[in-house]
Amino acid sequence: MGIINRGTIHLTVFALIVLTFPFWFEYTGGYAGLDTKIIIWAIFALGFDLLLITGYLSFGHAAFFGISAYATGLMLLHYSSNIIEAMIVGVVVSTIAAVIIGFLTLRRTGIYFSVLTLAFGEMFHTAAVSIFSGLTGGENGLTGLPTPTLFGEKMQGSNVFYLCAIFLIIGFYLARRITRSPFGLMLKSLKSNQTRLEYIGINVQFYKNSAFVLSSIYAAVAGSLMVIYEPYVATEFLEWKTSGTLVIMSVMGGVGTLFGPMIGAAFMLYFENVASVFLEEQWLLALGIMFMAIVVYLPGGFVDGYKRMMRHWVKKNQA
Amino acid sequence: MAILVVNNISKHFGGLQALFKVNISVEAGTTHSLIGPNGAGKSTLLNVLTGQIEPNEGSVVFKDRPLLNITPHKINQLGIARVFQTPAIFPEMVLLENVMAAVFASRDGAYKFNLLESRRHAQSVANFAIEILEQVGLQHKIRSEARFLSRGDKRRLELAICLAHKPSLLLLDEPTAGMARHETESTIELLRSISKKNMTIVIVEHDMNVVFALSDTITVLSQGQVIAEGIPDHVRGNPAVIEAYLGKEHA
Amino acid sequence: MVNQIFLQIVTGLQLGAIYVLIALGLTLIFGTLGVVNFTHGALFMLGAFSAVIISGNYGFVAAIIIVPPFLFFFGVLMERFIVRFFYDRPHTDQILVTFGFAIVIQETLKWIFGSNNIPFKMPAWGRGILKLHEYVPFLDGFVAYPKWRFILITVSFFTVIALFALLQFTRFGMVIRAGMNDSEILSFLGINITRRFTLVFGLGSMIAGLAGVFAGPVTNVDPGLGMFYLVPSFLVVVIGGMGSLPGAVLASFLLGMAQSFTVSFAGLQAIVVYIVAVVVLLFMPRGLLGKKGVLD
Repeated sequence: MGIINRGTIHLTVFALIVLTFPFWFEYTGGYAGLDTKIIIWAIFALGFDLLLITGYLSFGHAAFFGISAYATGLMLLHYSSNIIEAMIVGVVVSTIAAVIIGFLTLRRTGIYFSVLTLAFGEMFHTAAVSIFSGLTGGENGLTGLPTPTLFGEKMQGSNVFYLCAIFLIIGFYLARRITRSPFGLMLKSLKSNQTRLEYIGINVQFYKNSAFVLSSIYAAVAGSLMVIYEPYVATEFLEWKTSGTLVIMSVMGGVGTLFGPMIGAAFMLYFENVASVFLEEQWLLALGIMFMAIVVYLPGGFVDGYKRMMRHWVKKNQA
Repeated sequence: MAILVVNNISKHFGGLQALFKVNISVEAGTTHSLIGPNGAGKSTLLNVLTGQIEPNEGSVVFKDRPLLNITPHKINQLGIARVFQTPAIFPEMVLLENVMAAVFASRDGAYKFNLLESRRHAQSVANFAIEILEQVGLQHKIRSEARFLSRGDKRRLELAICLAHKPSLLLLDEPTAGMARHETESTIELLRSISKKNMTIVIVEHDMNVVFALSDTITVLSQGQVIAEGIPDHVRGNPAVIEAYLGKEHA
Repeated sequence: MVNQIFLQIVTGLQLGAIYVLIALGLTLIFGTLGVVNFTHGALFMLGAFSAVIISGNYGFVAAIIIVPPFLFFFGVLMERFIVRFFYDRPHTDQILVTFGFAIVIQETLKWIFGSNNIPFKMPAWGRGILKLHEYVPFLDGFVAYPKWRFILITVSFFTVIALFALLQFTRFGMVIRAGMNDSEILSFLGINITRRFTLVFGLGSMIAGLAGVFAGPVTNVDPGLGMFYLVPSFLVVVIGGMGSLPGAVLASFLLGMAQSFTVSFAGLQAIVVYIVAVVVLLFMPRGLLGKKGVLD
């Protein structure tokens, strides 16, 4: 094996695909900038998968995406257009919120968790458009942000793309390491049999909370990048629709596979772009039906579908 | 020396007295069986020992340490492992991962933030896991998923998971329930070989063949109370025990 | 001062009445089937949409007669053709499929009726105000309140009574209650609960439909309605203790009152339900009437 093992190959191929994305993406019919948006959502979905590995389904991850987006936006607006401080503040504030929400929602079963994360996610949305509307711009969102800069360089167009791409590649590298660590094995075991995990002497609560906070850090990075990509914070970032979108793309792509949710993110944004041309508003209905079909017939998502197809193909060729 | 001392434990659920002033002392290195008719309180007692049920009164001392009011994972880290009535394993994971999770838990404690350590490079952990799987006779299946195992093999796997922690006390809840005869016999052999390694074992069991084949001491519970205790031969002919099992007219 | 407190109590009751109507079905379905129905808000919305259409064409009484049975039927079909296949799958899959179905219902309604609010005309007998000072002796001066809101409170009151009576006094209800306490007991008694699941699902969705009919005139009938009410009803169910019907009733009125009494602080009123939820969960993680051992 030596230095060139499978992990290195995976990572290199992944990095090449991501970095060359803008060059071939323009031939597929996407609009300029959609590539960046896909990368940002891929970061969001990739982190979400670290939580989904444990079997806990959050309907409130918009909170961490949105809180970070608002914090980043407010820093850009009131402090400096330099993105470093803005991103750090965004991620830190969002992570603090995640620690608190995790403590409140993870004390009981997964059902409680799904219900409560939806509710607390909406809490932040409601708060942003009510008591904090002076700060957040209420229903209009946070507008009038300056063009973000990094060391004096304006962050626009391909600059933003490569910034996001670097975050995605690092994020993928880390997520891969995490799932292959003893820590990752505990997350997997958590989904498989929580009681047994407790009875091998594991503090289950610690692992649940860690996975939750880790995934929300990814969400925070994505939220922050979203504001850098398009200097505007929409209230929609905090809404349940954003959490729902995340759930849909992760499940469609294939939960627990790291690749799956990213593919799901790309598929969904691309589908929105293409299908809304001829389906208009009804593209969401089509998506909903597709999503239900996948939950019913292909719970492993696209990745599982691909694996099944390959198995089928191999069998056919052997016969 | 007593490794586990149960002092005056009582537990009632509403009006039902599940345990009443139970006293048991388990000697280190021995195999101690809890028997009794259905509803005698055996499972309740096991659940008290592993922190699932809080008793209304009494205390439990393990290696001179009080055991009540602490969470299951802490009890486990103190060196008590438990085999459940229905095998509690990680069904979607392969056997090696099943046992490796337990070995990591024993190595790293209740939690560790080792996000970036590679499992692949944790060779000593994997070797130890394979060694244990060999001990229970599952070495040829380490790459298959646990959910595809037979019931007997699931029990072996669970035992392997428990042994990964090198526990000083092993609690077994009906280890041969639902097993075919040949599976029961090989399980007896397996448990015997484990107990030879100076392990203390507490078994709750209905199958008297298993009980008499393995036990150094037997405690008989009936309606939440200890009605007899002693070496197997002593318990075998005890009229109170026969009465508890078969009703008064047979005694 | 007395007047104002009285009015706030009435408002709290009225808000709670809507929450109760939605949360009853949610908690009934959860308690018996163990399924968290993310479609429940959409079923309520479907009730409101059907009611607005039917009452527009045939009058409000027709809506009262047609909509609840329609929703019952809809719920039965949903159980038979979707939910049933998920009893043996993980809880997350149940949540996902009901969530997906909620989106499908929502987007279908949006497709047919557009995203805008459809005005819901109250029937003539429900319009106008009640002069409360004529009935309540300790109120002084002129105290009036919209009549419809009293109708809503009354409907909700009788629905709760009817449901509790059904569960308390019929054989069907006894089986359901036993199932809510401990589903193992039923298989022990040789009762096949699965056959009753369909009916429970229909019943829950019928109550949601009834809620849609009577809440429709005092709320916005648009495709965002389902999700708008799903979140507070989830909070109701969690605060009350998951699967506990009395808990759901208690929590509904607690949230209604909390919102009503914070009316003078606009920002606070919007988030007070969440604050109540946080406080309850911190001190009573199982909810107000949740039982130990259920879903730990």
